[in-house]
Amino acid sequence: MTGLVARGVLAACLLLVVQSPAIRFDSGRNLFVLENWPGAAQVRPERGGDVLTVSVDSPNVPALLGQYRVENKSLVFAPQYPLQPGLSYRATAKIPGAPPITTVVRIPKPDVKPTTVVERVYPSTNVLPENQLKFYIHFSSPMARGFAYQHISLVDEKGARVDVPFLELGEELWDRDGKRFTLFFDPGRIKRGLLSQQELGIALQEGKRYSLVIDKGWKDAEGQPLAAEFRKTFRVGPADRTAVDLKSWTVRTPQSGTRSVLTITFPKPMDHAILQRELDVVNSAGAVVEGGISVGPEEKTWIFTPDAAWKKGSYRIRVGTATADLAGNMIDRPFEIDVFERVDQNLNRSTRSLEFRVD
Amino acid sequence: MAAFRITICVALSLLLLTSAGVAVQRTDSLKAGKAELQSAGALAFGPDGVLFVGDSMGGKIYALDTEDRTPSQATAVDVPGMSEKIAAMLGTTADQIQVNDVAVNPVSKKAYVSVSRGLGPTASAVIARIDSTGKIEALPLDNIKHASVNLPNPVNAGTGGRGGNARLQAITDLAFVDNRVFVAGLSNEEFSSTLRAIPFPFNQTDKGTSVEIWHGSHNRFETNSPIRTFLPYKVNNEQTILASYTCTPLVKIPVASLTAGAKVMGTTIAEFGAGNTPLDMISYSKAGQNFILMSNTNRGVMKFSAEGLEKFSPITSQVADKAGVPYETIASLTNVVQLDKFDAQRAVVVTRSGSSLDLKTVALP
Repeated sequence: MTGLVARGVLAACLLLVVQSPAIRFDSGRNLFVLENWPGAAQVRPERGGDVLTVSVDSPNVPALLGQYRVENKSLVFAPQYPLQPGLSYRATAKIPGAPPITTVVRIPKPDVKPTTVVERVYPSTNVLPENQLKFYIHFSSPMARGFAYQHISLVDEKGARVDVPFLELGEELWDRDGKRFTLFFDPGRIKRGLLSQQELGIALQEGKRYSLVIDKGWKDAEGQPLAAEFRKTFRVGPADRTAVDLKSWTVRTPQSGTRSVLTITFPKPMDHAILQRELDVVNSAGAVVEGGISVGPEEKTWIFTPDAAWKKGSYRIRVGTATADLAGNMIDRPFEIDVFERVDQNLNRSTRSLEFRVD
Repeated sequence: MAAFRITICVALSLLLLTSAGVAVQRTDSLKAGKAELQSAGALAFGPDGVLFVGDSMGGKIYALDTEDRTPSQATAVDVPGMSEKIAAMLGTTADQIQVNDVAVNPVSKKAYVSVSRGLGPTASAVIARIDSTGKIEALPLDNIKHASVNLPNPVNAGTGGRGGNARLQAITDLAFVDNRVFVAGLSNEEFSSTLRAIPFPFNQTDKGTSVEIWHGSHNRFETNSPIRTFLPYKVNNEQTILASYTCTPLVKIPVASLTAGAKVMGTTIAEFGAGNTPLDMISYSKAGQNFILMSNTNRGVMKFSAEGLEKFSPITSQVADKAGVPYETIASLTNVVQLDKFDAQRAVVVTRSGSSLDLKTVALP
């Protein structure tokens, strides 16, 4: 009999424990649930924060943003942003007339191996002009913003770091996918006559070798470091201060009735990104010839493959005047214009044309 | 700060606040709904609590009605560990957010902070608002009166935007001047300088003008370089843009010269040296003298007189003007990453201390 009573009391206690208000984290739905509290049904969602708050498990921090709702007689908090793996969150319920209930939830962090790498860097050539303007660094996966310049260095042939060679901007210059980073040299180290150049000298010196080094610590968008360091070693040639001249380009024309390629060969390497967008082909009626573009080795060729076979007739290649070489010299306009020799008072920023025939 | 730091606008705001009818007209073009910001960067206040936000990823400028129009006599807004607190509100840690800009509402004295929650290309855009008690809240972007305008992006010469997806303009600064939003940007492909002026209220028929700014500098070489930050300022009663470049010359450009399609020559009035990028500029008066305060990445906060800026002429000969505007570095202001004007005597700064960012009010030097 005594045993029966004891078991009954135990069962009642267990029931009491089970039915006591408690905070549960629903990991499947990313929700914090205050359950077993009959008062939940009366809580208006906009007042949910009076009862249940969730914050990062640190002192003196505001509560997480999110939405409250009542679901199955429980008060539910849905954080506005996903919870962060590896971080702990403190959920506190203040039920009137009862001591506060606190639950700390740690979000597990999966063990992930680094896989992101630098796939390529443009310019691809290993001889750069002394007034090289920029690099494009292409990654295999989206990268984190905000830390770029900590992980990039320029070292000379003795392995010594060049002092502040690059333009370091709060607004890091990425493409939309976060996979291509644009790295400008500090213009003060390229342009002539600037105080910067007088103080620090030019960043790259003709005849010397340098390496662009990207260390493994640069994290991708998932917070993982790179799988490997990247290094591009190059030699420095003379500064290039001449405008891009269409007359120096050679065009290899295709044959009619084929989908063979149209190729333009440049006398010097060109800016990889700008080549992708500034050139196109139009027919004699002015209609754009649809097709695909590729850029050849060392960015010295532009290759156009039409979607349909070429028809006989005259065509022209439309070239945007922003088409630039490695030093930022553009069509008919060098990067810097000598104000005492200039002739371009009225700049035409539109396009130039190269004409060709398909027979 | 990208901020709106112009006396004329403060005056305009106060004037409009006293006139309810006009105030309604000012925000009338803003419609309630979800502001689909892909990113939140440069900030500037316009009239009536309208906050302009540069959305570089979306290629847009947003005008948000903060409904924050109650004048305040607050003398400070101080939040030690601001980045940790904003991050915690967003459910994360300070190393997982980016603080992009700070602007003070000249009427309410509340500080607005644009933030990216997350570090990758899918980071969420957040605008946090901080009052004088240090309370931080998020502007409810899900339901806010707003309008947006696409940046009049340069059209690719190539067909069909081929390869154009990679081309982006990072919006580096905004300001509201004479009913227009001025926008400076940096291209991720071209080293060029385009200043855009977009009428506000935004409308579909007038998308604004786009002007190339050149500066005759470096003794004899005329060049084109991205504007990093700028300050609308009246030089000798002429509305002027004082623009600071990535290679740190300070250039003045008359607003009247900024007409559609123009190639404008700015006048270089100072050069601030190597290995440094300007961040923000504000103007103020002290003891009857006008000054400009400029924060920089590596050279601290510089103060220079704004008197007599009209005396600097364009460089027309090979005689180098080495003097330029003289400046002093303010030793008490270190590690300043954001700067905006708080009131006539004070500025708000965000300073970096280790991995943490603190927001505080400081006396104008």
